[in-house]
Amino acid sequence: MNRREQRRSSRAGVAGAAVAVLVAVSAAAGCSSLNSGSGGKAASAPTASTPTVSTSKCGTKPGVKATGSPIVLGGITTKEPGTDFSDIGTTAAAYFDCVNDNGGINGHPVKYYPETEQTNPSQIASLAHQLVSTDHAVGIVGSSSIIECSVDNSYWKKEGFYVLGAGIDPECWSTPNTISVNMGPRYSSDGAVAHALNSHVSKIAFDQSNVPGTTYIAGGPNALAKAKHVPIQDFTENVPLTSANSVAIKLANAAGPSGAVVLNFTPPEALLILQAAQKLGLEDKVKEWGCSTPCNTDFLAKALGPKWNGKFFVNAELTPLNGDTSQTAGLYQAILAKYGKNVTGGVGSFSQMGFTDAEIATHALETVKGAYTVKSVNAAFKNIKNYVSGMQCQAFTYGNYSEHIPNNMDYTVTPDNGKMVLTQGCTAIPSVDPQIAAYRKLAGTAPQASSSGSGS
Amino acid sequence: MTVTDHRRAAGTGAPRRLPPLGRPAITRISVITVLLLLALFALPPVMSLYYTDTMTQVAIYAIVTLGLGVLVGRVGLFSLGQVAVLTIGAWTGARLLFATGQPFPVVLIEAGLVTMVIGTLITLPALRLRGLYLALITLMLAGAVTVIEATINFPNGGGGFSGYDGSLTHIPQIRRPSIAVSDAAYYRYAVIVAIIMFGLVYLHLKTRPGRAWAAIKQSEPAALAAGLNTTFYKLWALALASFVTGVAGALLAGADQELFSIDFPIQNSIELLAVVLMGGAYSITGAVIAAFLFQFLPALLQNWGVPNDWLIIIFGLGVLQVLTTAPAGIADQMPRDIRRLWRRVTRKPARPAAEGGAK
Amino acid sequence: MLGWSSFEPFLISGLALGGVYALSGVGLVVLYRATGVLYLAFGAVGAMGAYLAWQTTPPNTPVGPVGWILCIVFCAVVTLAYGVIFGPPLAGRGPLVQAVCTLGLALVLFGVVDLVWPSSGGASRSLTLPTDNYGFVAGGVTVNTTQIISLVVGVVLTVGTGAFLRYSKLGTAMRAMANDREITATLGVPVRRVEAAAWLGCGVLAGVAGILLADLSALDDTTLVFTVVISALAAALIGRLRSITLTFVAALVIGLVHDLITPITSISDYRDMTPFVLAAIALLVVSRGQVMTRSREEA
Repeated sequence: MNRREQRRSSRAGVAGAAVAVLVAVSAAAGCSSLNSGSGGKAASAPTASTPTVSTSKCGTKPGVKATGSPIVLGGITTKEPGTDFSDIGTTAAAYFDCVNDNGGINGHPVKYYPETEQTNPSQIASLAHQLVSTDHAVGIVGSSSIIECSVDNSYWKKEGFYVLGAGIDPECWSTPNTISVNMGPRYSSDGAVAHALNSHVSKIAFDQSNVPGTTYIAGGPNALAKAKHVPIQDFTENVPLTSANSVAIKLANAAGPSGAVVLNFTPPEALLILQAAQKLGLEDKVKEWGCSTPCNTDFLAKALGPKWNGKFFVNAELTPLNGDTSQTAGLYQAILAKYGKNVTGGVGSFSQMGFTDAEIATHALETVKGAYTVKSVNAAFKNIKNYVSGMQCQAFTYGNYSEHIPNNMDYTVTPDNGKMVLTQGCTAIPSVDPQIAAYRKLAGTAPQASSSGSGS
Repeated sequence: MTVTDHRRAAGTGAPRRLPPLGRPAITRISVITVLLLLALFALPPVMSLYYTDTMTQVAIYAIVTLGLGVLVGRVGLFSLGQVAVLTIGAWTGARLLFATGQPFPVVLIEAGLVTMVIGTLITLPALRLRGLYLALITLMLAGAVTVIEATINFPNGGGGFSGYDGSLTHIPQIRRPSIAVSDAAYYRYAVIVAIIMFGLVYLHLKTRPGRAWAAIKQSEPAALAAGLNTTFYKLWALALASFVTGVAGALLAGADQELFSIDFPIQNSIELLAVVLMGGAYSITGAVIAAFLFQFLPALLQNWGVPNDWLIIIFGLGVLQVLTTAPAGIADQMPRDIRRLWRRVTRKPARPAAEGGAK
Repeated sequence: MLGWSSFEPFLISGLALGGVYALSGVGLVVLYRATGVLYLAFGAVGAMGAYLAWQTTPPNTPVGPVGWILCIVFCAVVTLAYGVIFGPPLAGRGPLVQAVCTLGLALVLFGVVDLVWPSSGGASRSLTLPTDNYGFVAGGVTVNTTQIISLVVGVVLTVGTGAFLRYSKLGTAMRAMANDREITATLGVPVRRVEAAAWLGCGVLAGVAGILLADLSALDDTTLVFTVVISALAAALIGRLRSITLTFVAALVIGLVHDLITPITSISDYRDMTPFVLAAIALLVVSRGQVMTRSREEA
């Protein structure tokens, strides 16, 4: 080894040490993130009123730890940079922790596996296999992914599972054995478009991110607009957005001064378009701005500021929390406060979905007589009938139908001084969407409110 | 130049005729055969379905990392767009599997050929460039391919040229070969295809093209002076890498059974280069290690409940470490570390022999 | 079919997008000329700095001096540390290996940012500057002061660093060092100190650009770490990684073409290809010359 090589190797040593330091630093960063939720500020951003309900409400024997043989459940959620639905799984886990601390389900604790995926079909399939054949899960609860329904549906069917989740892709609403507590992009966009149509806009510009099934999603809003003889123009954008400014200009131009722009994006992308519109001075160039459910977050209300009060309307598929003092809302916040340390996004519609999934599943599991098997548990899920969760407009029914849209009545919220507030109570999604019509015919449900359908 | 020394030390690609089989070579071949037989017959019955699926991906991505290894290690082309090339193969494979009833192996070859033609054609003009510029132009081309695929989408059983129908509520699955419908059978199928692709590349390395690549790698002007048509051989390397990557793409279509453009963001190509550098771009073992890093490690971390972000951090640190201290990657470093460890252990027999991760 | 007036607002937004690419593209080229390293972690360092600034800024208020200082100091320290630690062992390994190594740093920072600031629960963050709220109307849309500032910063960088590298003693030393470290050292230039100065300057630049880019494009890790940098690289490539002026102009052209295509529905969906297509064309045309075949480009 000559001098130069020696020098190089000593430098390499320094570099190696630097790599080690980087490991340590990132480890510290990781740990701090685990302790403080999402970088401290994010977790505390959505306002939560002080919980007044005790967490003992989530079980039948308050304060008694469940010790029986565990009931194994699992769920798969998307978690990757920019798209993260993991709060649904972690909130379901928090709910079950609460159940386990209060007597469990007929004495049995729930062992819940919240798995996460990175929109990779083979990974999603392998996670499903893992839950069933390695973990011996008897029920799938709290799944929410951009493509999971589509990838795993036939597998769930084959194994006899009746999934209880929060769906996104078209398959989640159009199969016998998958049901969602949320409305999903299509029916939620329906709700947003219906609100705009009720404001008598002359045209609608509907824009969504380029995810699987965009034509299916656009089908609903197009049917609604057509029924009212209002022209509608569809757009899709590749995400992450490269130039939000040009998108905002395009949409404002397309809608025109008496038209409406309706967005179907994740909160960060929707925020980009709306902020671009605000910076460009376009917010008043159209009559109304609308958005599907994802925009229902206080993050957005805070970031947008007062210019959008009464100008921007967001469809909400679960009961809005601000000002909600019901028992369910109280329990939800109490559980997040006590068990939700892994729920990094805190209070919001994603954790609400996880809560609702777990709540409905717990109710169904309590009805099981005898052993908890795939057969008995999924039969119980399928038999859920008219369960009133405080989180939805309607009572929840699974039932033996070829498709499921159990949640088809929505709320509308609008930003008001950094919060999303209720502006329209339970309203049925119009049956002019052929899918909604088909479901209502199947389920024989005339739309009617059955729970806290209060609103202005 | 340290790079070439290491490659020599690793014992592959020595620029000579097919060498006569010495004892070490025979030992190595038998070890590899035993490992392959284990992978094919002993693993599937004992592996859970989760790891069967994971190992299928490892087999498929081993072909991809092998192709990238040829580019990086043999002709010095750091391609930052290899996942984009993979998706061309996957797209073609999926389209053919939906549209035709052709036997699966035929589709694999067709997808490989189409990818080879496209991959070579779009890079052909760029071959005039070198080093950094060539790497960056592959990134640009990958960016373009990513946008096109995001816009036309992967086939999902629809009609027309793109075979995509955005209004479908039930996406049909991409078919698998009739002899490999189950996950375990498809795993074996993928391993066998991977072995054939490794054989193909190995043959190239041990014959005329391999020697030409080694000469180009050593010094392009010298190779030119020696009368080698350097552009031709570079193109050959590109064509070979694109072909095997295209085959891997079609294999991926059969494994995933549904393909989505959101699954292939441009940063995947960057991560792929990272694992190839970590595994070792100068040896065939390195390709296998890289595939394990890219597909097995995430599955393992997932099972341990470690957030996926750690994987990205590990890949980043791996690139920093490999480029500064061990240019030939884990494939070269680990045997040396094990030997060193072994020496230390044999000197002090008080401690039991550590395993050091040798598999 | 489409009249001029329907393109007018896109002209403005295109210039704004071009300004974003110009800022990072010019940054990349300046760093390359001063250090000889294509610093692909430029966006990642700036992104993490911007997230730190966001963290220390109270909700719904613009970034104040504390955020600015934190971001710039963070970027300067990380960049300097990287340069001092990884510069010497990689010197002589060629620009390709050096560039790929900075990708390693980019991946690490990307992972850390996503770990510390996840996007779970619909978390959407934005970073604003006081200058966002002032502007004038042109082409039917408002042009805000931040956009003007970023363009001005781009111009100042273009002119300033060009002059600095050409005329100042330190600048000349940097150029010499970026070209050939060993020879520069034998000429008596304190290579280490010059190198450190170059990296430090680059870090400060990455910090300033980080906040501006987070405001102008998005406080989103994928966008800042990959999308913006890759698009800006296209501009830098058109400038052959040498010409700061050409990079600046190319960035503006890319931004303009991208946004002007937006209203043309037949090709609108493919507009994100603009930087890649333009870069590919430019490179292939340019490469007919000798520019790319200098010996030091061979890794």
